[in-house]
Amino acid sequence: MGRNRPSGSGPRRIAAATVALLLCAALAACRGGDTETDASGVKTDVGVTAEPCPEAVDRNKGCIYLGIISDLTEGPFRALAVPITDAQKAFWKRVNTAGGIGDYEVDVTRWIRDNKYNPQTHNQAYQEMKPNVLALAQTLGSPTTAAILADMKASSVVAAPAAWTSAYAFEDVIVESGANYCLESMNALDYAREAHGVKSVLAVHLAGDYGDDAAAGAKLGAQSLGMTFSAVKTDSGADKQAGAIQAILSGRPDLVILTMGPADAAAIVGQAAARGFTGRFIGTSPTWNPALLASAAAPALLARYEQTAPWDSWGTDTPGHQALRQALGQITPNDGYTSGWVWSYPMKAALTKAVADGDLTRAGLLAAVKSLTSVDYEGMLPAGAGNYAAGPNDGAVRVTAVYRPDRAAPTGVSQVRPLTAGPTAQAYALDGPCYEKL
Amino acid sequence: MTELAESLLRGLGTGSVYALLALGFVIIYKATRVISFAQPAFMLAGAVLVTYLAGPVGFWVAVPVAAVLTAGLALGVERVAVRPMVGRPAFVVAIITLGVDVAVRVVVNGFIGLDVRHVGDPWGLRTVAVPGTAIDLQQRHLAALLATAVLIAGLFAFFRYTRMGLAMRAAAYDQEAALAQGVSVGAVFALSWGLAGGLAAVAGTFAAAGASVDAALWLIALTALPVIILGGLDSLPGAVVGGLAVGTIQELTASYQQHAPWLGGNVSVISPYVLMLLVLLVRPYGLFGTREVERV
Repeated sequence: MGRNRPSGSGPRRIAAATVALLLCAALAACRGGDTETDASGVKTDVGVTAEPCPEAVDRNKGCIYLGIISDLTEGPFRALAVPITDAQKAFWKRVNTAGGIGDYEVDVTRWIRDNKYNPQTHNQAYQEMKPNVLALAQTLGSPTTAAILADMKASSVVAAPAAWTSAYAFEDVIVESGANYCLESMNALDYAREAHGVKSVLAVHLAGDYGDDAAAGAKLGAQSLGMTFSAVKTDSGADKQAGAIQAILSGRPDLVILTMGPADAAAIVGQAAARGFTGRFIGTSPTWNPALLASAAAPALLARYEQTAPWDSWGTDTPGHQALRQALGQITPNDGYTSGWVWSYPMKAALTKAVADGDLTRAGLLAAVKSLTSVDYEGMLPAGAGNYAAGPNDGAVRVTAVYRPDRAAPTGVSQVRPLTAGPTAQAYALDGPCYEKL
Repeated sequence: MTELAESLLRGLGTGSVYALLALGFVIIYKATRVISFAQPAFMLAGAVLVTYLAGPVGFWVAVPVAAVLTAGLALGVERVAVRPMVGRPAFVVAIITLGVDVAVRVVVNGFIGLDVRHVGDPWGLRTVAVPGTAIDLQQRHLAALLATAVLIAGLFAFFRYTRMGLAMRAAAYDQEAALAQGVSVGAVFALSWGLAGGLAAVAGTFAAAGASVDAALWLIALTALPVIILGGLDSLPGAVVGGLAVGTIQELTASYQQHAPWLGGNVSVISPYVLMLLVLLVRPYGLFGTREVERV
């Protein structure tokens, strides 16, 4: 009787203490863990463990977890995205087999999520994996990546994109590879003027900074080359191209620049040609799929379509391409594999630099990216590519290859022009994302 | 003038696909008083089946076989998911068909895989000149129009001259009276689903002819909704007329939208739905529908 406390205060204290403990645990989880220093003196925080990776080659090594958010099931770029992801798995397996990164191996299989090419789904996947990964080995799509970019910058999450918008040149957290859509379109125009004598251009493009960026490059290039330019936006879906086809038929441009998915591109090229259009088409690399050579649009594609690409295709003879083919073994060739492989090199270079600097935290990895002056692409991109320290304009890769459909080639395309920087792209001062100038 | 004529012909070709889809909706509605939202999935399933069958057995065999298999799938769905709900509110059954649509499409998407799949039609994008004119008509549109005409003639003959057709008409008119006269209403339900499934498969095949089959093909089936609103939810001739009208309007909008650039680049896609809204405002039971539908 002498303790004189209200009845029930004991359970309340226990409840309060439990809530406090839960809050502390939640806060710690949200913070993503404290900075630690491993035996060799390397600082780590999120997404790096002393325990080996689930599929470790050497179980004495720790693990760096990288996330992948891709278009894996029903989005318009799934035919490209699945090979991209498979190539990245093979790339990091090769890295691990060759000794990993310092005292660590890299895991890209634990955190793979499907974005269905939907920005909201992309963001959900990102939020789910964010407390568990150091960086993103792949974030597929420009509009989808735009949905997480602000958070990535706030949290110093570095990512390798699977997209080429020119906005990435201005983002420290993105380790982009190859020429962006904007410069690629400029190179396409330089090529088309020389090869086909074109004087008028129509850009048919998806909305958002994938299509808009390529269309802006075509506009800037056309202005520079004295060509007439017009643009028409379209939607994803082969049955939604009637407006675009009509715009082509009524405008009768010499050249149509296409930025969309493969089925959409085939519908436009095939149906415009069937209705009497005799101009040329050049599509950015995501517009191509070898299966289009079996489609009703194949004759039109073979006669009128060419494709630009930021790097050489599957069958090219460089050390990087050879390593890619060796790592993947017997598979149906697809340049999605080539892209996934190429996009992985800068992340490898940044991780290697961060370990060498003794700082494998998110901040350390970002600092490593900013200090990279070149990336070894094993010949898949020209020497000097991957200079993130030089800034957007000086660091931009400006070379583009041109391919045409060819039934005999491994990925259905054969090269017309090797990786070349045209005079328009060379002279262009990249002073902001191109799509803002459309 | 040539452009107008070509647009009209393209519109009739596209519209005949819509008509086939709308007929499926109407047949099920007339028999069961339920709008089946599973039609898009059957359309996709039929088209995907054709992509698999066209290689081994050829297009001409693949289409009827796929139509029969899709009809079988629809029959199975009716027996397993819909028949147990007889007597429940139509709204509940409609929601179930929505679930069936999603489930079937998820399975079918797995068979589409990563490649661009083709139905292997013999027409591709080839055109044929209309004699005595400068008008070019795509063979796939002509084929769709002819196939629809044949199927519609067959359907109308079936309803008019066969005992089962008579039973279906009787059940559509008054289910209880039909039951009292010995009509198997269950068989009528099953047959209506089977017919709708088969029609959806043929529609999906012609929708993909000259292009490709991907997971987004099912969206075309949604255009059948404006069609049945225009033609009348319970009218078979209305479905045909509505389908051809919507296809023509959509194609004409695509051809001439350049004269109204302020509408945006792809306004033809929404034109059927704009038409649907207008029809709902003026004549909610459609051009050929019965007035009692208005109260539903």
